Amino acid sequence: MLVVENLHAGYGTSEVLVGTSLEVKQGTVVALIGANGAGKTTTMRAISGMLKPTKGRVILDGKPVQGLDASRIARLGLAHSPEGRKVFGPLSVEDNLLLGAYSRLPLFFGFRSKAVDDLERIYDLFPILRERRQQAAGTLSGGEQQMLAIGRALMAKPKVMLLDEPSMGLAPVIVQEVFKTIRRLKESGITLLLVEQFAKSALEVADYAYVMERGCIAVEGSPAELHKNERVLAAYLG
Amino acid sequence: MESIIIAQMAVSGAFMGLVYALIAYGFQLTYATSKSINFGQGELVMFSAFFSLTLINVGLPYWLVVPGGLLFGAVLGLFVERAGVRLALEQKSEGWILLTIIIGLFGFSAAENIWGRDDRPFPTPISSDSFQVFGVSITPLEISVAIGVLAVMGLIELFKRKTLLGKAFEAVSADRDAAELMGVSATRTIMLSYGLSGMVAAMAGILVSPITTVGPTMASALILKAFAVAVVAGLDSGFGVVLIGLFLGALESLASFYIGSGWREAPGLILLILALAVRPNGVFGKASIRKV
Repeated sequence: MLVVENLHAGYGTSEVLVGTSLEVKQGTVVALIGANGAGKTTTMRAISGMLKPTKGRVILDGKPVQGLDASRIARLGLAHSPEGRKVFGPLSVEDNLLLGAYSRLPLFFGFRSKAVDDLERIYDLFPILRERRQQAAGTLSGGEQQMLAIGRALMAKPKVMLLDEPSMGLAPVIVQEVFKTIRRLKESGITLLLVEQFAKSALEVADYAYVMERGCIAVEGSPAELHKNERVLAAYLG
Repeated sequence: MESIIIAQMAVSGAFMGLVYALIAYGFQLTYATSKSINFGQGELVMFSAFFSLTLINVGLPYWLVVPGGLLFGAVLGLFVERAGVRLALEQKSEGWILLTIIIGLFGFSAAENIWGRDDRPFPTPISSDSFQVFGVSITPLEISVAIGVLAVMGLIELFKRKTLLGKAFEAVSADRDAAELMGVSATRTIMLSYGLSGMVAAMAGILVSPITTVGPTMASALILKAFAVAVVAGLDSGFGVVLIGLFLGALESLASFYIGSGWREAPGLILLILALAVRPNGVFGKASIRKV
């Protein structure tokens, strides 16, 4: 569903990604783990078009999308829930969710009625969002904002979802909550690329994992295989 | 008697102030999406007013002149975006400041060459015979200014709140990158904001011209005060520009009556300086938090 081949990208003259390759098969959850600064978030940004790759290919559902604008890639079926959540603070929770489905709703009238079922689905997944539907997104707690960011990405009914550091800055109890949600999404058959600092938790939900070091993939394998790899064990799972 | 005169001056000035507010609102629209404004907006007002005057002279009925003028303003706004602002924004430079000033100067010269240097009357079917309200005389023309300004602003605010495209507009101003990730094209949203801003400027020109006449120099008088209103009110409060516009309009009218007509521009400039010194984000502006 998503194939990344030999991706190079960076900021200005400093190259961060030096030939990253990975694959996310349909209906699988793939974890991307690694130390701070290894290039995990940059990989996500280069896939979704927030950052233009200087070299390499990104293939979404059989079509090359590298170099396209982020909005084009989003309309082609990729939903990226970015690092730091980036909800639209002044807009209401419901408006945030509606914007998640922007590319498949009518632009002027009737968009709300067309999105009712999808909104209900998200509210059933995150009941707290239903309670706060009219509240400005900026007033939510960090955990609630993360739920909203995930819900907003799901509203797009994406072919592939990228989820960057969902646990960042959250209390341990909330982190567990977030991973519970990811597990439920996995059961519903989502195709997900997950970037996580908490490598242990990420490997518990993932079908396959990549370990990133200095801008490219150092180790890859199923979670069971990674647990046997002594170097990975020492560096990330200790 | 004295209080009636004061009230009369304040009320007449306030109607003019609404025009400043409308132009300032145009600044807010483009600032929201792109953090840029058209410094040639005054020329855009003037050019659209001249174009509308030409439509009248060709014999078009007034009720077709208004939509025609608005459409022309929107096209000019799009032109400014494409020919100036976008070039600078693509390189993340502040070059749009100079580029929009230059496009404005071109507009000024073009207007002088096409329509001449003289101020011309702008005929309108709306009567300027006054009627009395509590001793203050008001003309239907002034009422039309108020209705026009509030209707345009009201419609755009409604568009922003009630349509998905409008919400996308708000999303781009809240977080451009995140909006892109939703499939919202920031480039198109910025184009939309410039189109709307040009339309708003054209509306201001059509509304104000019957009162002030049309001429190439009308731009500079209007734009300075629109800036004052935008800076004092802040660049994100539509409600704020209306209040400050009314206030500044009344104030300058009183100043020109009591101190002398040469002092007409003074209140706007003094407010501008005060605002920049004391509250750079505007009276109604949110304090911007810069992360470092």
